[in-house]
Amino acid sequence: MNMLVEQVRADLLAFSRRPETLFFTVFLPVIFLVLFEAIFGGQSVTLAGGDVIAQSYLQVPAFMVMGVISASFVALSITVVNRRETGIFKRVRGTPAPAWLLIAGQVVTSLVIALLMVIVMLALGSFAYGVRVEIGHLPWLVASVLVGAIAFSCLGMMLAALTPSTEAAPPLANVVVLPLYFISGVFVPVESLPTWLGNIAALLPVAPFVKVATWAYVPATTMPWRSLGLLIAWGAIGLIIASWRFRWTPRRD
Amino acid sequence: MQSMPAAISVTGLIKRYGDHQVVDGVDLEVQQGEVFAFLGKNGAGKTTTTEILEGYRTRDGGNVSVIGEDPATAGAEWRAKLGIVLQESRPLGALTVKETLRLFAAYFPNPHTVDDVVRLVGLEEQINQRAGRLSGGQVRRLDVGIALIGRPELVFLDEPTTGFDPEARRQFWDVISGLRDLGTTVFLTTHYMDEAQVLADRVAVLRDGKIAALGTPAELQALRGDVEIRFTLPPGLELAALPALSSQPRLTGGEVRVETTAPTADLAVLCSWAEARGLELPALTVERPTLEDVFLAISGETT
Repeated sequence: MNMLVEQVRADLLAFSRRPETLFFTVFLPVIFLVLFEAIFGGQSVTLAGGDVIAQSYLQVPAFMVMGVISASFVALSITVVNRRETGIFKRVRGTPAPAWLLIAGQVVTSLVIALLMVIVMLALGSFAYGVRVEIGHLPWLVASVLVGAIAFSCLGMMLAALTPSTEAAPPLANVVVLPLYFISGVFVPVESLPTWLGNIAALLPVAPFVKVATWAYVPATTMPWRSLGLLIAWGAIGLIIASWRFRWTPRRD
Repeated sequence: MQSMPAAISVTGLIKRYGDHQVVDGVDLEVQQGEVFAFLGKNGAGKTTTTEILEGYRTRDGGNVSVIGEDPATAGAEWRAKLGIVLQESRPLGALTVKETLRLFAAYFPNPHTVDDVVRLVGLEEQINQRAGRLSGGQVRRLDVGIALIGRPELVFLDEPTTGFDPEARRQFWDVISGLRDLGTTVFLTTHYMDEAQVLADRVAVLRDGKIAALGTPAELQALRGDVEIRFTLPPGLELAALPALSSQPRLTGGEVRVETTAPTADLAVLCSWAEARGLELPALTVERPTLEDVFLAISGETT
């Protein structure tokens, strides 16, 4: 237990001292939310059921999801590739530390950052944009963010296992995630997508995550159990591929 | 010697990559408390052998025992007795010396205190500096500190001083000498002969995956016991003009070299010959070959 505390402490310290990851993970989603609110904040959206709501109710959870994915998928895969290629993982594997500790250190670190993002977005949404979550729906929000963060950590491990070099890690992570933000209801409401594109996006991991998190803010529709199941399934796929292809030593070894 | 089991015992070690036999029947034994240097050119199989001993690589043949266990199957308890400095590894640049050592201490059941290790590797002044801002030599000392934090019985150092300036190398040697005083067994790979000469109790020279020579530095030196007389050929003279000596002189880049087993007689002949002609032999020296020369000869490089 002490080992895990020390590992997470060190991983969080290292994370907080890398300005570029800090910017892309923590500040960029916040900047996006502020910009999108400035541009579209006054608009309203007609939901499938006919209800009309302020677009802010969709934007706040959407950028919250972006923050969680940045922490668990983007930052995690870049960090893991970096630790592998610089020999840091190899070195720790030469000590009595168990293998799970290194994975746990990364995943718990990304969960802590994900929760931090949730708090920042909850506060920003509530105080700056008047978008509130009912107390009764908070447990759902926390649970869905945890499930999403763990699923995207598994996918991040998968991406790390498939990434050949430190240089390739940031572009690869962003190439995967940026188009998904566009078609999954983060940058553009899903209602304004062509049907076929929306149908494809609905099967990929980002859209279900957005849908699950949005339900806490807009509980007008039925409970998104199907999306939750899809999110968990994607996490499982990531975990299987990650454990199949994962390596501790640099590629050149 | 029989009272203490060997720290490392290897017989008939074989490792292949495809058709290429990188390690080709290595036998060696390292005693407890010994500083053992493993020398060879790049590509001789040093790192491959070392990483098999450390448990990172599998082998294709032979028996290996490292502090009483087979590295291929040994577990966490065994790794707690080892300290490993890899050839290519950098500590996390964002963490300070202190934070790095504190993290690694948490991995071991009975670690040294961080302060003790910092003193041992001479990083007191850098203790709160981030690893990313240390010099190359300081990073390597931190690497050794990480290897020492768990109170290892055996420390592996894979080419620890490659790329160091002479000053940094000397400081590093002091750290390794300190390990010897603690009774730690050290297995050191290097391609610097002077390093082995200063640090090692015994030296093995690896050539094309085989042990080409094994012994104390003095024993290795005795393998090529000849003394060499060197001087610059006086202007206007040919090599053929020199008097007959006990062995044939060689001319390399204007310098005459005579490898001899009878240096006194040869020098007498040479000097009276020169004096009779009123010649001065510029840069005249008589030297025993250094261990470096011996190493270069054994490892297959030409002097």
